[in-house]
Amino acid sequence: MDEILAIRRLNAGYGPLRVLHEIDFTLRRGECIGLVGLNGHGKSTLFRSVMSLVGWQNGSIRFKGREIGGTRSTGAGRKTHAIVRLGIALTPQGDAIFPGLSVAQHLDCGAYSRIAWRERARRRDMVMDIFPPLRRLQNELVGTLSGGERRMVSVGRALMTEASLYLIDEPSLGLAPKISASVMEALHSIRSEGKAMIIAEQNVALLSGKVDRMIGIHSGRLRGDIGHVSLG
Amino acid sequence: MSWITLVHGLNLAAIYGLMAIGISILWSSIGMINMAHGASFAVAGFSAWQVSLAAKPLIAAAFGTGLDASVAMAVTMLATGVIAGALFGALIYLLAYLPIHDKANYAVRSLIMTLAINLATVQILLQLFGPNQRSLPKIFGFGKLEILGVSVRYDQLGTISSTAVLMLLVIAWLRYSRKGLEIRAMMQNPEGAELSGISVRWTALPVTMMTGALAGLAAILLSQTIFVSPTSGAMPLIKGLTIALLGGLGSIPGALAGAVIIGFLEAIVGALPFLGQRYVLFSQFLFIIVFLIARPRGIGGLLDETRE
Repeated sequence: MDEILAIRRLNAGYGPLRVLHEIDFTLRRGECIGLVGLNGHGKSTLFRSVMSLVGWQNGSIRFKGREIGGTRSTGAGRKTHAIVRLGIALTPQGDAIFPGLSVAQHLDCGAYSRIAWRERARRRDMVMDIFPPLRRLQNELVGTLSGGERRMVSVGRALMTEASLYLIDEPSLGLAPKISASVMEALHSIRSEGKAMIIAEQNVALLSGKVDRMIGIHSGRLRGDIGHVSLG
Repeated sequence: MSWITLVHGLNLAAIYGLMAIGISILWSSIGMINMAHGASFAVAGFSAWQVSLAAKPLIAAAFGTGLDASVAMAVTMLATGVIAGALFGALIYLLAYLPIHDKANYAVRSLIMTLAINLATVQILLQLFGPNQRSLPKIFGFGKLEILGVSVRYDQLGTISSTAVLMLLVIAWLRYSRKGLEIRAMMQNPEGAELSGISVRWTALPVTMMTGALAGLAAILLSQTIFVSPTSGAMPLIKGLTIALLGGLGSIPGALAGAVIIGFLEAIVGALPFLGQRYVLFSQFLFIIVFLIARPRGIGGLLDETRE
């Protein structure tokens, strides 16, 4: 089976507001795609509905052939931890992280599953190889770090998980161009066999050359594959 | 004012601190203001009283009347209080957290729910045991000890030292264990915790049980100085709640500092000849109100390095 994530006729929103309309798309194993769209057009909502974090949702989301979507009758977030344990890691937009934990503890939070917890020291080492600045910040509180460092921690937390699908929401948001380029470089370097990744981004130039294909999203509807965009 | 007053203040601070930390942790981790904390206190006190009646002949038969017997009694009392408190915490989890935690306005719903649990529990205790006050066996024995020229009663010494030990254990557990990391992650960002694979629903159970156990311990310790009665939870609840507010709800160091301040304030005002016991509550609330007007975030706002 080649598909890692298959979304069919997904609708989602908050209360009376409908954000996503009939989303249909498939992600193959080992693929890295860019999800491109303007602010407020549903990129984050798409990620959050994969994690079952939106107000309401219906339609099918299949992860490795297993249904994780469907119509939900319970409150948002009740299934999220189970979805994480199936192997999806989301780096939320902005700094939705734990300001009062140290960098090392914060990374440990990502290694929650039993196997990952035993090898958390090795995994921390791996993350710090990808983001070298974190090594000397290990015992600092996350709340005292700079924006770029926090984003590294946030992405690093997702990498600590034993996941086969990474959802990275706006890795460049609020970062200086140079730093966001290095974060993107690091994301590109961690692509390995069998792991898939979706990067939501507004800055198409940053994604070019780093992803296999791009998908546009506009007013909550997918606008077809853009294919490989090369600039310059 | 003398050294005895200070020891008395420290004794009160220990008991109030146990209550305040429980309320503070519950608020910051699962967003519940636990009005049933006083009920946990009373239930633990009554459980310990019942068990002490049942255990007295057994302990007398096994250990006689010497030091062994009083140590056995002390351990039984403390264990009963902690276990009963933890079980009552689990009950609060089942009634006031599990069914309603993902509904809108959970803070208000749970406040009303726990208030109802508190009232119902007090009435049930009145029904079962009547309004009489009961005294628990003195687990630390009678007598005084001279420490650096200050005479300290055994029960004060026992209360202060066992609280300090337990508080350190709780803080170490929160800081170094895996469960503690889970709880702190949940305290800071429930959604982020879910995204790390932590089930907020299940992590809430050890939190309610632990805070219940702290209230149970406070009940046993306070019963060394006052009596157990169905309504005896009310005053510790009010003190714990106001101290948690003074400390900045959710801040553990703030709650500890608040408990020490309020404990000493109570001891000092009570000992001053021109004020005395009847001005204790007045002065405490006056202090808390003035402090919160000047510093709306409470003491924790001064101590915590980072707040989003």
